[in-house]
Amino acid sequence: MVRLEDFAQSREALNRAAVVCADHLARNRNGRWEVFAKSSLTRQVEVTGGRLRRTAEVAESGVGIRLFVDGRAGFAATSGLDGPALRFAAEAARSGASPGSDPMPPARLLGAGPVPPGPDLPPQGWAQHVAGELAVALGALSGGRLQLARAVVQEGCYAWLLTTGDGWSADHSRTVASMLVEVQVGERPGVWREWVHIADPAIFDIESVAGRIGNRAMLTRHRIVTDCGLHDLLLHPEVAAQLIAAISPLFLATTHDRDPLPRLLDRNGLLAAYALTVVDERAEAGSPVVSPCDGEGLPARRTLLLEEGAPRHRVASFADARRFDELPRGGAVRLSYRDRPATGLANLRVVTEDGLPAGELLASSDRSLYLLRPLAPVICDLASDRYSLVASGVWIERQRVLGWHPVVELRGGLGALLRRIDAVGTDSCWFETPRGFVGTPSLLIRRQPVVG
Amino acid sequence: MVAAWPADSTLPKSGRRLYHVRVHQPAPGAPPFDPHWLDHLVAGCRQLRGTHPRFEDLFLERRLEIAVAAGCEVASCCSEGAAARWRFPSRWAVHAAAGVSSDAVAALMSRYSDRLKVLPGPPPPPLDLGPPPGWSDWARDMVGRIADPGATIRFLVRTAVVIRRGGWRHAVSPALVRMETGSAGTALLAVWGHPRLGAWIGDLLTPPPSRPWNPEAGLRVPVVFTDGTSGPVLHELVGHLAEGDLVAEGRSPLTGLGGATLTEAALDLVDDPRRADLPGAFSCDDEGVAAEAVVVLEGGRLRSWLCDRDTAAAGVGLPGRGRRADWRSPPAPRLSNLIAGAGTVEPAVIESGLSRGLVVTRLSGATVDPVSSRTVLRVERGFELRNGRRRRALGPLELTGSVTEILAGIDTAIGNDPTPDWRLGWCVKNGLPLPTGSEAPTLLIRHLEVL
Repeated sequence: MVRLEDFAQSREALNRAAVVCADHLARNRNGRWEVFAKSSLTRQVEVTGGRLRRTAEVAESGVGIRLFVDGRAGFAATSGLDGPALRFAAEAARSGASPGSDPMPPARLLGAGPVPPGPDLPPQGWAQHVAGELAVALGALSGGRLQLARAVVQEGCYAWLLTTGDGWSADHSRTVASMLVEVQVGERPGVWREWVHIADPAIFDIESVAGRIGNRAMLTRHRIVTDCGLHDLLLHPEVAAQLIAAISPLFLATTHDRDPLPRLLDRNGLLAAYALTVVDERAEAGSPVVSPCDGEGLPARRTLLLEEGAPRHRVASFADARRFDELPRGGAVRLSYRDRPATGLANLRVVTEDGLPAGELLASSDRSLYLLRPLAPVICDLASDRYSLVASGVWIERQRVLGWHPVVELRGGLGALLRRIDAVGTDSCWFETPRGFVGTPSLLIRRQPVVG
Repeated sequence: MVAAWPADSTLPKSGRRLYHVRVHQPAPGAPPFDPHWLDHLVAGCRQLRGTHPRFEDLFLERRLEIAVAAGCEVASCCSEGAAARWRFPSRWAVHAAAGVSSDAVAALMSRYSDRLKVLPGPPPPPLDLGPPPGWSDWARDMVGRIADPGATIRFLVRTAVVIRRGGWRHAVSPALVRMETGSAGTALLAVWGHPRLGAWIGDLLTPPPSRPWNPEAGLRVPVVFTDGTSGPVLHELVGHLAEGDLVAEGRSPLTGLGGATLTEAALDLVDDPRRADLPGAFSCDDEGVAAEAVVVLEGGRLRSWLCDRDTAAAGVGLPGRGRRADWRSPPAPRLSNLIAGAGTVEPAVIESGLSRGLVVTRLSGATVDPVSSRTVLRVERGFELRNGRRRRALGPLELTGSVTEILAGIDTAIGNDPTPDWRLGWCVKNGLPLPTGSEAPTLLIRHLEVL
């Protein structure tokens, strides 16, 4: 069991470590500096074939130090919060420093915004209970055709503290939970795999999650049907999330001469259809990564990236904002003490206020391909305005499933794809992607070339 | 240190030469902790004999990563931690914590028993894992040459000790370099100091063809995998699917095919962690089993699975592939370096025998869908093949087929050009990345479908 009382102790250790670091850095004339200390406790429970198979508890703490002294900038991180580890990090940051400009934001930009309260940690035995209930719910939903092969529940808590040589500091702590589910579909040897973000374990609706997983997995039991040509597409949120993640570099600040965005815009200056509005949401309850400030101390905020298809703002760390002539809007991420704060998206979210229920999206097309899950990362060649999406899907005609298309590819112009997004759903879910967390609903896209 | 060739029992009976470089262990170096203290920890493990749950092992690791990114300061991260494992009658328990001090280790080992007394040990010696002098300057120069705001170069090195009741073992792996080109989306992973590193970097930085050609979708064509690209294909189609956990749980399409002939090609496939010139090398796995080659395919016949101690105890095979992504992660069966034995045919002869087909010279990704058991191979570079000659350069495209059909369709003509892959060694399984390596000759797959 992850023990909260242990965690309270580790928060005190963070404060002590920050004081030790500050003392060391100040005494050794280290110019401007910042110290980021983080502590976390994670418990992973794996249930296989209905029985508890493995538990793993990880307690981790460490510190990352960034400094700028005598025209040189350096960063070093080390695990542990004891004196030798902290001195090692400070000395490594200084000895590894290289000529450059000051990467840290000035004190006047630093601040902490309000953070919604986080959920409590689930009680002991919760993970096993959830896996058991999920197995029952999946079996009942599918008449025994779906079996829970494996569930891995991850729960934990973390705290961090960011302090600077200018005397500013912020701290934050939170609990997190998620689950990886693998479901056996009928007699087939493979498994259906799904990752579930658990915003609040206290109100986690097992039946709803079982329905979400089961309804999709059961679609792969239909006979195989293939087709090609121009067709309407309905992207499941998981496929949509991979697509939005693939275009996310467009939302990061970059040099003017390498910026692919102008080439992707239509003559009205639109990147996508009016239906698509995208934000980087850093302070909203229920998002996977919530904090009072970004990775280097600028207040957390919502950044409007794409408004009704039109590009609005881009995110950047303070150093990148200066490098690429952007306004610093708090666009640095730092998920671990091991990471230097870098430009990135915390919670990339498609706005669904004007969305339609997924059933209505489905009903709005006579014949469509419903893409269930990506089979490989979506490739977007932003420079040449091309995309390639390989997925597994089902053909649907007048709301009736015709059959399963195990591997289908969509390929074509990226700008054209984004501008044919006709509607977004209301069924938004969070997914973990190589480019961070992405929250997306289903997307309806009109007349896209299906390769076969 | 140069070690002997593999023992006869691990060599395929066909007797063909498997390697084009000498087999050698990673240089052992000094253990990262005081050997007397490690001996004392072994004695501590013995004290835990007979406890319930049963103590399994203690893992201590120190790792260093240095990253140089365009427009950013050099970032170094030193991480060390310990993990202890216990076996209950029906489950495993793993407890891990940052730090390798005596107090931290004693707290971990005493988790289920108050019988253990760990003497305070000397502090671990200063971390001596740093890159060679001048590495940062070299990396900054390379980042400048890549000329992409997202370019990053990393130096990765780790050293670990596995402690069990019977003794301790020092797990050594080679230092690695990983280059990411940012928006170009391509990457390189290689052992630092590999003699061909310079040539691979040259390949990495070669711009794509200006006017690429894409074949028609749905086309079923013979495809020649050359320049080491057959290594990642075999890694996905055979290596991963031979991992003990997938086999034990019936999640691999190869489950139940032990001893069966997967391909009529007389293909020998060995997973060999002793190849220190490849990124997946180690001197012992992360459960303390000494590195040995495992013959996965012999003459096209499936011979062995790749197991950790857990799946080995379940009767799947022999242990030796229990690998951890780092000290935070429990061990799981994972590949090391997958080596396909060389054949006798000149690659040019394989290409010249085809009236129509494709040649793949670089892959950017390969996946197997666990639901449909179909694979998707992402081609980054290659050529159209007509009348035995290379014609137009290929644009990025995807090839697909079912795992068992592709294996059955490997042609009997095997190239005599074993070539290491530098592109796709960074292998992710269940979200946990690990360095792996592969070396394979040119192979022809008779039918693949263009997506």
